[in-house]
Amino acid sequence: MDWQAARVSLLLAVCTAALLLPLGVWLARWLATTPWRGRPVLEALLMLPLLLPPTVIGFYLLVMLGQGSALGAWLVRSINLRLVFSFEGLLLASVLINLPFMVQPLQRAFAAIPGSLREAAWVCGLSAWRAFWKIELPLAWPGLVAGVALTMAHTLGEFGVVLMVGGSIAGETKTLSIAIYDRVQVFDMAAAHVMAVVLVLCSLAALAFVFAADKARPLQER
Amino acid sequence: MLQVLLKNEGPIRLDAEFNCVRGELLALVGPSGSGKTSVLRAVAGLLKSPGLQGRVSVGNRAEDLWFDSVRGIRRAAQQRRVGLVFQHYALFPHLTAIENVALAAHPPRDAAYFDTLFERMGLAGLQHRRPSQLSGGQQQRVALARALAREPQVLLLDEPFSAVDAPTRQTLYHELAALRQSVAIPMVLVTHDLNEARRLADRVVILDAGESLQVGPPARVFASPRNARVAELVGIQNHFQGRFFSNGPGDAPGCGRLVWHGDEAGTGHISLSVVDKKRLDQGAEVSWVVAGELLDISVQADAQALNTLACSLREVLPLGEISLCTLVPAQLPSQCITLNLSSAALRQLGAVPGGVLYLHIPPEAVHIMPVRQT
Repeated sequence: MDWQAARVSLLLAVCTAALLLPLGVWLARWLATTPWRGRPVLEALLMLPLLLPPTVIGFYLLVMLGQGSALGAWLVRSINLRLVFSFEGLLLASVLINLPFMVQPLQRAFAAIPGSLREAAWVCGLSAWRAFWKIELPLAWPGLVAGVALTMAHTLGEFGVVLMVGGSIAGETKTLSIAIYDRVQVFDMAAAHVMAVVLVLCSLAALAFVFAADKARPLQER
Repeated sequence: MLQVLLKNEGPIRLDAEFNCVRGELLALVGPSGSGKTSVLRAVAGLLKSPGLQGRVSVGNRAEDLWFDSVRGIRRAAQQRRVGLVFQHYALFPHLTAIENVALAAHPPRDAAYFDTLFERMGLAGLQHRRPSQLSGGQQQRVALARALAREPQVLLLDEPFSAVDAPTRQTLYHELAALRQSVAIPMVLVTHDLNEARRLADRVVILDAGESLQVGPPARVFASPRNARVAELVGIQNHFQGRFFSNGPGDAPGCGRLVWHGDEAGTGHISLSVVDKKRLDQGAEVSWVVAGELLDISVQADAQALNTLACSLREVLPLGEISLCTLVPAQLPSQCITLNLSSAALRQLGAVPGGVLYLHIPPEAVHIMPVRQT
C-alpha cells in the first residue's frame, strides 16, 4: 500500500469536494430555479466531462495552463503559481472534471422542491437567504450528500486527467490510481491489488451513501 | 381595508378591481384559468410580472401601500404582512407543526403563545408532528395557524377546502366562520365552488379571463347577474335570448315587454310581460334568466295570471328528494326550461312525461341583461 499516494488521493478528494460544494450548490440552484434561454448550452457544457475521454480534458488543460501558454506564463510570473505537474493544478483539473458529479444531483434536488414551499417561506417573512438555509438546503440535502459522495469517489479513482496534468510526482501528484498503474508496470500485483480493493470499497461506500440518502428524502414526507 | 386594482397584459391577463373591509370574507369565483390565484398572488407580492399595473393597499399609512405602479412602489412578499393559505398548504415537510408556525412569527414568540394558538386551532398535542403525520384537515389548520402567526393585515385563502374530504370540509367551514368572529381582518377566499362561495362569503367577485365581471353579495349576483357571461359562470340554467320593448299602450304600468325568441329566426316567439327598469333601449337584444324558485306550475291554466305558458313535460329525472323537470313551451318548441321540483309536489300534480303543464312566470322573476359586446 502506497500511503503517500493514499494521502494525496484523500487530500485531493476532500479539497475538490470542499471547493466544489459551494460552487455546485450555487450553480445547481440557479439552474434549477432560473428560466434562461441559454441554459441547455450551459448544462451541456457542464455534462461534457462525463462524455469526453479524460485524456482529452487533460490534454487541453495542459495546453491552456502550461508555462508555454499565455495564462500559465502569467500565473507563474505574477503569483508564482504553477498549474501543471503540481497539486494546485491537479485540484483545478479535479474541480472541473467533477462539476457534473456535484451539480447534477444537486440540481435534481433543488428542482424537486415545489415552488410553493419557496413562496410560503417568503410569505412567512423569511428573506431569500434565510429561506435558502432554513427550507431549501435541508430539503436538498440528499442531493448534497450524493454530490459530495460521487465527487469524492470519482476523484479517488480518476486516472487520465491526473496523469496528463499532474504527472506522477510522489507526495505531490501521485494518486492511488497512478500508484496502481506504477505497481502493475513493475509486476507488483499484490500491492496493486490492495490499492484496487481500497478504491472498490470507497466507490461502494459512496454509492451506498447516495442510495441511503435518496431513501430518506425529506420531500417524500408529504 | 384591502383595496385592489390590478391590470396586466400578456400570458397572465388581469383586469380586476375590488375591495374588502375588515372582518369581511370576499370570495373570488371563476372557472379554472380565470385568474383567481394570480390575483391572490399579486396581492401577496408573489406575481413576478414586470408589466403589472395598478395599486394594492391595506390602509392609509405609507407602509400599508404594498404596490403602486404609478409611484414605482412594489414591496416584496416579505414586506407585506399577508397570511396566505396555499391550495395544498405548502407546509415545510422537514419541520414539525410548531416549527412551521414559529417560522412565520416575527418577532419570535414563546412556547406559551404557540400553545394557545394550537389550542385555539384545535391542534393541541400535535405541535411536534411532521406534516406527513397529520390528516388533511389538521394540515389545513396548521397552514391557517402559520398564516395567523404572521399577524397578517390580510388573510388570503387559495382553494383551502379542495384537498379535504366532504365531512372535514363541513367542519372547516364552521371553523372558518368561527375564525371570522375572532380575527377582524379582510379575508379573501379563492374558490371555483359556487356553493362554497354562496355559503361562506359576504360578497363574491366573479372573475373571467382575469377580469372582475361583477362584485356583490352572493344572493344578488346569483339572482341578478350583470350580463350573460356572469349568468353562465354562476351556473344559471334557464338562460335565454330575447328582445326588449319598453312600456307600451297595452302593457301594465311599470311593465315592458320581452319577446322571447329561439336561437334561430322563424321558430316562433313568446311575448312576456316584464318589469321595465328604464335602462334598456327600445328593441334592444337582451339575455334573460328566470329565478326558478319564483316560478309556479299548475295543471290548470290561470286566466288571471300574467305570462302563463302551456308547456309539455318532456323529461323527469328523479334525483332523490327532488326531480329535475324539463318543460318545453308549446309556442316555442326550440326552447326548454329546467326546474327543480320536489318529488312530492310532482306526485301531487300527477305530472307524467308527455303531459301538459302550465308555467306561470311572474314579471319580477325575469332578470334581463344587455348582451355583452366582446
